[in-house]
Amino acid sequence: MKSLSPALASLANVFKIPMSMAPVRPSIARTCHETLNRQTQQPGPVTAALQSAPFSTTNAMAARKGKGPVVDKRITLIRYFLHHPLTPRPLRFSRNRYLRHWTIHRAWQLFRAQQRRKHELELMRQYQSMQEACEELRTGAGDGGKLFRVSMNKKGIFTDMFPIEYARMQTDSPPSDGWNYDWKKPGQK
Amino acid sequence: MAAREPSRYLARALPRTSVPSIRPQGFLSRRNVSDEAPARRLSDHLTELESASSLSTTVPESAAASFDPLARAAARKNQLPRGRYQFRSPKYNRGPLHPHQPPPPSHPSSRLFVPGPFSAPRAEQTFDSTVSPDIMTLCYVHTPPGFKPPPKSARLREWDDSSPYHKNRVLRGPRGGDVLRLLRKPIKFNNIPEIERITIHSYVKNAAAERNSSWLHVAGIAVQAISNVRVETFKSKSNVAPWGIAAGRDSVAVKAELYGENMHHFFGKLVDVVLPRIKDWEGVKGSSGDSSGNITFGLIPENVALFPELEINYDMYPPKMIPGCHITLHTTAKTDKDARLLLSAMGIPFYGKIVN
Repeated sequence: MKSLSPALASLANVFKIPMSMAPVRPSIARTCHETLNRQTQQPGPVTAALQSAPFSTTNAMAARKGKGPVVDKRITLIRYFLHHPLTPRPLRFSRNRYLRHWTIHRAWQLFRAQQRRKHELELMRQYQSMQEACEELRTGAGDGGKLFRVSMNKKGIFTDMFPIEYARMQTDSPPSDGWNYDWKKPGQK
Repeated sequence: MAAREPSRYLARALPRTSVPSIRPQGFLSRRNVSDEAPARRLSDHLTELESASSLSTTVPESAAASFDPLARAAARKNQLPRGRYQFRSPKYNRGPLHPHQPPPPSHPSSRLFVPGPFSAPRAEQTFDSTVSPDIMTLCYVHTPPGFKPPPKSARLREWDDSSPYHKNRVLRGPRGGDVLRLLRKPIKFNNIPEIERITIHSYVKNAAAERNSSWLHVAGIAVQAISNVRVETFKSKSNVAPWGIAAGRDSVAVKAELYGENMHHFFGKLVDVVLPRIKDWEGVKGSSGDSSGNITFGLIPENVALFPELEINYDMYPPKMIPGCHITLHTTAKTDKDARLLLSAMGIPFYGKIVN
């Protein structure tokens, strides 16, 4: 079965969908905390005394030879999260709730299809006006089509391409100048 | 860019609006964006809202009296399935002839159903509103109405029947090599190139060398973190003796394929956050590309660590194990020059000699 993205897992978490038949999954913070603390705990006096005179010398010998199973705690954590089953089960609803869900889903798909269609029609309209304008320029401008020929010149388009300043992703409220060079960290003078 | 000295010609051309042109009706009845520039205030938007709530409408007595769901359910010829019934998509694909078939992945009951998208990525919005019309305009080539391009010769050539063995032989490949390139059609409103998918691929050479899997695990979770997609691992296809890699034995690579929302978010992060912070980075090499519209470039581990998801949690990754990666931007353009035009408009710089 195809494994699903971690986004689904977080969604399942938000919607309180239990993700496996196993008992409740320990929280991320708790797991991290436990793993990180497991080896950094300072031994108490009794434990230290026991460790100084252990029954078995296996660990000490292994450590002396440098063959001890020394795994970075971070890698242990990474393996835990990488292999944790995160696939949520499919949605299971009663009939009415399922119908509601389906209705909303269909409406959303319909809405997006309408948006796509609108965008496509807008592009088509722009293309056709461009066509009309060029045809007018070619036949009706009265300059023997020179302006038309100049406008059809594609020199430099595919070599110079767009200037890098053009490529600025849209924001909700773009500032008039992109960067405030006078900004200082509040503590600084 | 095109018109160097437009004023003289424009002055001559402008009075011609009064002269009847070839197709005056179509030209005059056309709707332009500049025609409708309504200054909308907030109050205009508020008037669109319905003032009355639909919940306060009263139900007529007759309708209330005739409402009897139990009787209606009993009068049904075919009973509905019980209220708790739910269709369960089959867990395994048992082939097209099995009676229990899975629903399409777009159906909410499908096991492959992914809800969403729940956000409008900036990269997608910028492309739709600005970049796509501009690319369409830049690549526009005018042909007079009724123009038909001369027919091109067949791409796969016939054999000249100089030998009897030419009979029923498969056609010859194109001149100058056997590679059949993609056909580039003129860019119109319906085939403006766009980013189709992004592949992040990371080859971890230490995965086999040290006989432990931690390199691959760290690479996998780093790629997962920056891409929001579950990674796939791949075994080596070739022997690499100095690194101790044997073909078919060692898992050495991780790959994530991004589509749709994930892809646009990743692209936005790449262009806005990561690429501007790379020290002494000139851009993507101008000769990159597979000549069918897919551009690849690489990031070294220090650059991968600049992704905000890794940077904010940098301490949780062993620093020497953060992988470098190759990022392939697959576009729907058929040639590299169109793909480069698109990517430069979206914010990826190119340097060096441009090779198509």
